[in-house]
Amino acid sequence: MAEAIQKKLQAELEKYQQLQKDVSKSMSARQKLEAQLTENNIVKEELALLDIQNTVYKLIGPVLVRQDLDEAKATVSKRLEYINGEIQRYETLLKEMERKSEQHREVLSSLQQEYQRAQGQAVGKV
Amino acid sequence: MASVHDQMAAAGKVKRSKDLPQGVERLKEEHRKVVKDCRSQIEHWKKVENDYESLQDRLRTLPDKLSYDIMVPFGPLAFMPGKLVHTNELTVLLGDNWFAKCSAKQADALVEHRKKHVKNTLDDLQKVMKNFQNRADFTDDLEKLTGDTGDFVDIREEVINEEEVTKGKHRLAHKGNSKPKQEYLLELEGDKKKEGDEERTTGVLSEEELWARLDELERQEELQDERYRYTRLDSTDTNGEDTTSSSEEEKEADGGSDVQVNGHQKENGWVPPSITSQMNGTNGSHPEDEEEEDCDEEAGNGLPTIYFSHTAEFKKVRINTGKNTTLKFSERNEQKAQAKRKKKSGKSNGHSPHESYKITSPADIYRVFVDLVNGEPIPRKSILKSRSRENSVCSDTSESSTADFEERRAAFGRSWSHDDATHSDTSDGVTEEESPTGKSPRTNGRFEAFTGTVIEKDPLPCSIPHLTIAPPALPTIPERKLEEVGPEATQEPPKRMSKFKATRLHQK
Repeated sequence: MAEAIQKKLQAELEKYQQLQKDVSKSMSARQKLEAQLTENNIVKEELALLDIQNTVYKLIGPVLVRQDLDEAKATVSKRLEYINGEIQRYETLLKEMERKSEQHREVLSSLQQEYQRAQGQAVGKV
Repeated sequence: MASVHDQMAAAGKVKRSKDLPQGVERLKEEHRKVVKDCRSQIEHWKKVENDYESLQDRLRTLPDKLSYDIMVPFGPLAFMPGKLVHTNELTVLLGDNWFAKCSAKQADALVEHRKKHVKNTLDDLQKVMKNFQNRADFTDDLEKLTGDTGDFVDIREEVINEEEVTKGKHRLAHKGNSKPKQEYLLELEGDKKKEGDEERTTGVLSEEELWARLDELERQEELQDERYRYTRLDSTDTNGEDTTSSSEEEKEADGGSDVQVNGHQKENGWVPPSITSQMNGTNGSHPEDEEEEDCDEEAGNGLPTIYFSHTAEFKKVRINTGKNTTLKFSERNEQKAQAKRKKKSGKSNGHSPHESYKITSPADIYRVFVDLVNGEPIPRKSILKSRSRENSVCSDTSESSTADFEERRAAFGRSWSHDDATHSDTSDGVTEEESPTGKSPRTNGRFEAFTGTVIEKDPLPCSIPHLTIAPPALPTIPERKLEEVGPEATQEPPKRMSKFKATRLHQK
């Protein structure tokens, strides 16, 4: 009886740990996105400081490709929107995973209690 | 594995007493870590700022010459003489693989703009560091509090009559803040249970505790917001820690997480919900009752205590009676009691002032310096003013007008008591004086020949701000007043009228 519970406990624990890893992965991805968000915001502001006379280049691989200022501004704005959307997606994902990990935690605690009770019984019997 | 669990289950109780200092240690560790992180980040950003400063200097001097003779780095190990040309044309990296050709001055502007960002980040970090520093200090204080090593002293007064302490009914919160006040209620009760035979001091001390707790909770909330922000910035580390901590706690006995909370509670007798929710992951759904009971099991308060006994005085609570007089609660009771006594015994006025000549607090002055009018002690609006008022309103003090007074009192008594009831129902801060205030100017025109020199404040605006500032104001006063007003309104409406209405008529 105790053995079975122990096995179940192990299995649950592993699932929970897996979930935690996923949570941390999405968390780090989200942080990266946030860094990109701030960077693109700065780029947008600095592009606003320039005038049409300055030539804007984009680094694509080893090449600096010439861009139009307005085009560059539009591109950066689009990228900002994209990043925001990604962040939202990750947010919902994270919430979902958080909820699932909460459930797993509860299951784990209940299993643990059962296990302890079983342990106590076993000791009592002995 | 079984034996380990067994031991842990058996040693659960023993663990609790050890867990407290461990918990505090751990908390301090975390605080120190955060503060260290903040420091290192601040250093990093300061370096960045310095780099930008030197860059700006270079930019300003660069366009001075058309070309410079320099040693050009040639690979990682060699230099080679060369020239720096087009000194005003710079290709600036804007971020995210975007470049722009700018002049030196434009580049200067860009650098300035970036420095602003760096400054903002630095400020945020400073704030976070300061907050966590405060938290660490707070936990230190907390530790001292429990460890009897600090200057904290528990002052207790043994109260004989429990009825006096609670006045029969527990305090209810103002409308807006009922939830937190109930928490305090629970905690205070828990403390009372904790003390066992000895009872805590009267409402004076518990009020101060409430204030202190309010302040603490406010601070906690601010810190929690900072912490929340910080964890969002740096969430992998802290989340990982939280999860590991919570999983550890799960593996341990369940009481472990309780203990941390209990530790806090035992120290101060209150639960900071914000901190517990952070420290215990999502474990924070323990009802407070449980924790109270757990507190009971543990050892009693280890603080040094001072016992002192209070003189048998009523609880002093300050009330804004809406007439620029803040009577103390006891005074009003005493006045009512005196008025009652006088009515029953028919004694003259001269008796009571002698009784109350002991001036122990500023409010006693108001009690002593009362107008002696028609056998009733009426509190004066102001000690300085009333004498001249009396002289100017000599017609009112004449014998002929007193009869009118009596009539008025009787006439208003019935309608006024009804009004008073409605007033007290509808608004919290309205005191009994305010309702007659509202009525008498209207009706005075009928009876009096002259309009008074005093223009009283409109009572309603008084009450409304009173309502809005209810949260920080002393709790329970309106409710207590209401309950006192309720039973007594029916009993002696003419009595109240005579006291305060007469004063006003006097002053008019």
